[in-house]
Amino acid sequence: MKRNWPTYLAAIGGALALATIYGTFWVTGVTVIPGTNMLNFAQKIFYFHVPVAITSFIMFGITAVAGMLFLAKKQKAYDILGAVSAETAVLFAVLTMITGVLWTRAEWGVWWTWEPRLTTYFILLLLMGGYFMLRASVEDPNRRAAFASVFGIVAFLDVPISFFSIRLFQSAHPVVFSGAGAAMETDMLATFMTGMVAMVCFGIAMLAVRFREEKARDELEHLKNLLGS
Amino acid sequence: MTASRQIGALLKKDMIAELRTKEMLTSMFLFALLAMVIFNYAIGSSVKRGVVTLDLTSVAGGLAWIIFVFMSLLGLNRSFVHEKDEGCLDGLLLAPVDRSLIYIAKMVGNFLFLLIVEAITMPVFTVFFVKENYLPRVWLVVLSLVLGTLGVSAVGTLLATISINTKARDLMLPILFLPLIVPVIIAAVQVTGGAIVGTKEALSNAPQWIGMLVFYDIVFMLAAYGLYDYVIGE
Repeated sequence: MKRNWPTYLAAIGGALALATIYGTFWVTGVTVIPGTNMLNFAQKIFYFHVPVAITSFIMFGITAVAGMLFLAKKQKAYDILGAVSAETAVLFAVLTMITGVLWTRAEWGVWWTWEPRLTTYFILLLLMGGYFMLRASVEDPNRRAAFASVFGIVAFLDVPISFFSIRLFQSAHPVVFSGAGAAMETDMLATFMTGMVAMVCFGIAMLAVRFREEKARDELEHLKNLLGS
Repeated sequence: MTASRQIGALLKKDMIAELRTKEMLTSMFLFALLAMVIFNYAIGSSVKRGVVTLDLTSVAGGLAWIIFVFMSLLGLNRSFVHEKDEGCLDGLLLAPVDRSLIYIAKMVGNFLFLLIVEAITMPVFTVFFVKENYLPRVWLVVLSLVLGTLGVSAVGTLLATISINTKARDLMLPILFLPLIVPVIIAAVQVTGGAIVGTKEALSNAPQWIGMLVFYDIVFMLAAYGLYDYVIGE
């Protein structure tokens, strides 16, 4: 049980993801676009899009916390955790972008708009791109860990500030679109929460598997060095 | 030696080194002039109905910040290339100086150099692109340049130290620096542009944008000050 917990967690996540699909298409009704009587089928992507987005943000937060812990304690495990959580964050951020762009297309008729959340995620992806470039271009492991930690922390500070400045930018100019939907019904909330738990379980399971893999790789390197010397 | 005297000594060293060669200031200024020529031909004309020269006043704030942000990349990289190549950084690390003070000195140095070039560039830029007389609001332009440049040098000094120590060296800086500086660009363009245009609508959100710039500057100066010790070397 102890060693296999990521597998179980992934299984729980998978089951809940299926439940979310069921809830999305068979339990919750189709909402109506406020002020019209047009059906808003595209709104259903919300049950996946938002949980995925929040999970990516949690992973990004773990990168920053791992960075702080590394700088404080100088333990290799925190560096590995930072790197793998950044990878998981990128995976979920890409999924967020894809689902977000699909929704934008269905709802607003354009593939891309410089909307605060989309733009913030775009910047987040660029920051993560920088994070991996940085890791790839430092050879000394201690230095790489320190640089990556520092950049992870600074990037994490930057994202909320970006979000608020982009939102202020939008409010300073006429807003054509508004993302706000109607208040959530109980069945919608239940489906949403199921999706939320499913994605967080998936995210943590992936993080754990990747962490073990990297940790094992690191130990292997260490043993090889011992044998070589 | 007190902290302020140590910072002063480090700053003086950078100033003297720069004033001897003037390579950073000249290259940044020439870059700014070249960028303006490119702007004129890239966006200064409309191709829709033959070549019609456009009035760029309404986007002047944005153009100015494009110049300043890319120009700062030159300066920020330069400020550490010498330290690294000529072994000055090792000397600094051996000296009994708190490493966070090295950050402050470097940051202030970069801030001053950028501000000097901006002060020379802005009048030329105004003559070239601005059809509006913004003299009554020039204090607001200056304020936005100071606050924006402070943010640029606060983040840039930290990231330049990181990138100079990587394999990619100066290639690394834009990739790390530009996404982080987005909030500064958004806010500073609004204030600078608003002050240049000067209409009531253009200036209506200026206090909030200035607040945003001040907030960003404080957050990143504190963060970089706290984290600098970890990046400057073992």
